[in-house]
Amino acid sequence: MRTVNRLKAFIKKPHNIILVGLAVILAYLTLFPLFSLIRDTFIVHPSEIMSVKGAAVNDYTLFHWRKVFLDGERSAKLFYLPLWNTVQVSLYSSVIAIVLGGAVAWLVTRSNMRFKKFVSVVFIFPYIMPSWTLAMAWLNFFRNRLVGGAPGLFTALTGIATPNWFAYGMFPTSIVLGLHYSPFAYILIGGILRNMDANLEEAAMILKASRAKILARINLPIVMPAILSTFLLVFSSSMSAFAVPAFLGTPVRFQVLTTQLYRTLNGLNPGYGYIMAVVMIVIGTAILAANQWFVGKRKSFTTITGKSSNSSIVNLRKFRTPVSVVLLALVVAVAILPLATFAIESFIMAPGDYSAKNFTAQFWIGEGAEDIGGGEPGVLRNKYLYLALWNSLKLSVIVSLFAGTVGGLAGYAIVRGRGTKLASFVNNLAFFPYLLPSMAFGAIYLSMFAKPTLIIPSLYGSFALLVLVGTVKYLPFASRSGINAMLQLSGEIEEAGVILGIPWHKRMARIIFPIQKASFLSGYLLPFISCMRELALFVLLITPANRVITTLLFQYNEKGWNQWANAINLLIVAIVLIFNTVINKITGASIDKGIGT
Amino acid sequence: MPQIQLNNITKRFGKFVAVDKLNLVIGDGDFVTLLGPSGCGKTTTLRMIAGLETPTEGEIYIDGRLVFSSEKGIDIAPDKRDVGFLFQNYALWPHMTVYQNIAFGLENLKWPKDKIRARVSELLAMLKIVPFEKRYPSELSGGQQQRVAIARTLATGPKVLLLDEPLSNLDAKLRTEMRAELKRLHMETDSTFVYVTHDQLEAMTLSTAICLMKEGLLQQYEAPMKVYAGPSNAFVADFVGSPTINFVETSGNNVNLDEIKAEAPGMRLLFTPVSGSLTLRRDHPVAIGVRPENIRLGEPEGLSGRIYSTLPSGMETIVKIQVGDTQLTSVVFGSVDYPLDSPITVSFAGDACLLFDRETGEKLASGSVRIIP
Ligand SMILES: Nc1ncnc2c1ncn2[C@@H]1O[C@H](COP(=O)(O)OP(=O)(O)OP(=O)(O)O)[C@@H](O)[C@H]1O
Ligand SMILES: [Mg+2]
Repeated sequence: MRTVNRLKAFIKKPHNIILVGLAVILAYLTLFPLFSLIRDTFIVHPSEIMSVKGAAVNDYTLFHWRKVFLDGERSAKLFYLPLWNTVQVSLYSSVIAIVLGGAVAWLVTRSNMRFKKFVSVVFIFPYIMPSWTLAMAWLNFFRNRLVGGAPGLFTALTGIATPNWFAYGMFPTSIVLGLHYSPFAYILIGGILRNMDANLEEAAMILKASRAKILARINLPIVMPAILSTFLLVFSSSMSAFAVPAFLGTPVRFQVLTTQLYRTLNGLNPGYGYIMAVVMIVIGTAILAANQWFVGKRKSFTTITGKSSNSSIVNLRKFRTPVSVVLLALVVAVAILPLATFAIESFIMAPGDYSAKNFTAQFWIGEGAEDIGGGEPGVLRNKYLYLALWNSLKLSVIVSLFAGTVGGLAGYAIVRGRGTKLASFVNNLAFFPYLLPSMAFGAIYLSMFAKPTLIIPSLYGSFALLVLVGTVKYLPFASRSGINAMLQLSGEIEEAGVILGIPWHKRMARIIFPIQKASFLSGYLLPFISCMRELALFVLLITPANRVITTLLFQYNEKGWNQWANAINLLIVAIVLIFNTVINKITGASIDKGIGT
Repeated sequence: MPQIQLNNITKRFGKFVAVDKLNLVIGDGDFVTLLGPSGCGKTTTLRMIAGLETPTEGEIYIDGRLVFSSEKGIDIAPDKRDVGFLFQNYALWPHMTVYQNIAFGLENLKWPKDKIRARVSELLAMLKIVPFEKRYPSELSGGQQQRVAIARTLATGPKVLLLDEPLSNLDAKLRTEMRAELKRLHMETDSTFVYVTHDQLEAMTLSTAICLMKEGLLQQYEAPMKVYAGPSNAFVADFVGSPTINFVETSGNNVNLDEIKAEAPGMRLLFTPVSGSLTLRRDHPVAIGVRPENIRLGEPEGLSGRIYSTLPSGMETIVKIQVGDTQLTSVVFGSVDYPLDSPITVSFAGDACLLFDRETGEKLASGSVRIIP
């Protein structure tokens, strides 16, 4: 009887129902794939019949594990070296992101730097734009003759040939990823610095602590949780980044786990790829666990919002103008210059020749000539482009609707049920897709839903599969936004409604959502933008009928049709930036509200 | 021996004037309280003395040293002013334990570890927070946090202490104890205190002088008893004292050379200034201010009124009486009870009654009030 009563009390609370529902669905959509992934590392796949002697498809085998881990020189080439590269790239890019993003956050919130408004808007752009944007821009600038084509703008302008290590491989990959993810650091660290009570610094100042000491003993420890979560986000994102190392590493055969993953999953040994995916998940989970342990160990302290007065703004004095100018130059170089190079490259007939007579609109509006790119028409005349664009938009809108709604509900339920095991279970489940490398995630869904399972029909090659995989993959963004929105809202606000007998759906629609509209809507914006520029997740799932714009770009790029690729990239960036700006202006939703604290 | 001097200090936030041409000399060893309604500029003044806020205009001297001057472009950094500051919201560092919070300033002074240990222990004991030494601020109650903040401010033994509502969050008993501690500390250390409080009693009992502000303007700066007995205007009279002063709103006329006849519905009064004479317009709007303890009940030949309510609090009883259109508050010693609406006579004792100009709020005179039969 007692249990029955407790159960009754339990299901009376809407958030419990949501939590139970999410726990079941998310376990199916994230844990089940994980098990299936692990199983895939132990079985013989159809393409592997030749290499695993005497085995039939679906036989259990330790072949892949042996080959990946214990095959001496071959393992080193296949796995250990790429793993080491991955770890290095992820570390370097995390450090770059934290140092750069943190510095900009400090300058914008705590100093009297100039151009604050402009810098704070434009600094986010690299994150809004597809990650390979910067990689392509890097190539447009610093390309050398190695790949056989023409050298880039830099060489054309200065006559200096760029060395390989500078143009390709580890160095540019780390820099590009670091720049791409530094907005994470900026948003997370800036959020804390902005809300940090200026009196905390002033109290130290009065007690005769030096500026450096205040930074080290007061500011840094207080933003430490933000630094740690930035590290988690940037490290796992860099680890699963595919496009950037693919663009920048291929010319010098610089391999990381994701590029190996692509080769093996697409090639003859998917079993190897699944093992690499498992390794990446293990690393990501370990960082997540370490992060939670560390944050939990330190007292969870709230930064009391106080008034920050003028005097807490550090006067940069004689550094003010130099620092401002350098930063301005940096954001222009990182966020605006790339777009200029795309524009230029897309108008150039023979690559590498930047003289006026070489400019042409052929690749935008040309009819298509036999001698250039096999008669491919300019992008604006290309019906495949419009089809892909339409697919991308459709997909992104649907994914963002699903992910945003589920994420918002998840945020609500997780915050309301805070402290219970169920809530933290759902919280971790909702974040888990973030740790799954996109491409492996795509691969698992491909194998999971290739044949009918339970009530779900075969989704192979269908649009629905893209929607499903996108929704689950971007749920972490949406649920973070939802959690942020709910954490800022005191429980009493809803309780006031409960006492008046307002039903749950009305409380959500009339009280909770309107108050935190901007934060909740950010949970729709992030999946939309991410989906618009996603490549790795879809690259294995796409069939010609449901090609999206990013995979189209990738195909042009693989064929070496540089001008079309640049033109399409410019289109993607323009669409994403315009959408972001319009949505931000109309609804107040923004990237930083979604990620931020 | 620090003296603090503010010359014509003005602070504007944009167009808004938070502090307006403030002139203040805080003597060596003084204990000055800043008093005034919320938002009148107390915290801002304190912050300007500490160097946390830059005045728009004016000069500040601490201990004879010019620490700020808008004209000469001098602005000494807060850490060079040798002041202690207690923040209204405590500003405890959330990532440090109580011990670390208190020790931080001493570390900056490069004290040896054992001396820091001893000093912190002394403060923990004095502020009765020994058990919380290892806790983080988020694990303390508001009052405990406040005491940690006091300890942190006192630790380095600054000669000028700027305290922004240091006891606001303590319970009545603790507050009394802490007041005593602060007063002792002030005597023993010979330092100068500037103290913001909303608590009348605190201002009265602790300070050597009260600085009363309203909307950024200095109203009065004198010893507590002087402020109480001789407020410079109706605002000060109303702000200081609990229960608050009674105002009888009347119109006054000069009579008999130096006396003033004041009439209101249900009462005809004659005000006699203690010294000098004053000239009023015909039917000049004035208010007579009488402190509750100067209102006597039940004496013959008083005004006739009725009991409105009785509020006994043990040691004394507050009695509210309705006389004509005016409601008066009286305080009588001991616990008394009057039936509601019972008739009673009211008279005014002593020569500490005050006459205010109702148009400007200025005090015109102090004197005695007699009732004209
Ligand atoms: N940084 C600021 N920017 C703009 N206005 C400010 C700022 N700081 C204070 N003010 C304004 O200046 C006035 C004085 O503020 P101050 O904090 O000194 O008040 P206070 O007397 O300490 O009040 P309280 O008793 O409520 O603490 C207020 O009206 C406040 O709104
Ligand atoms: Mg204040």
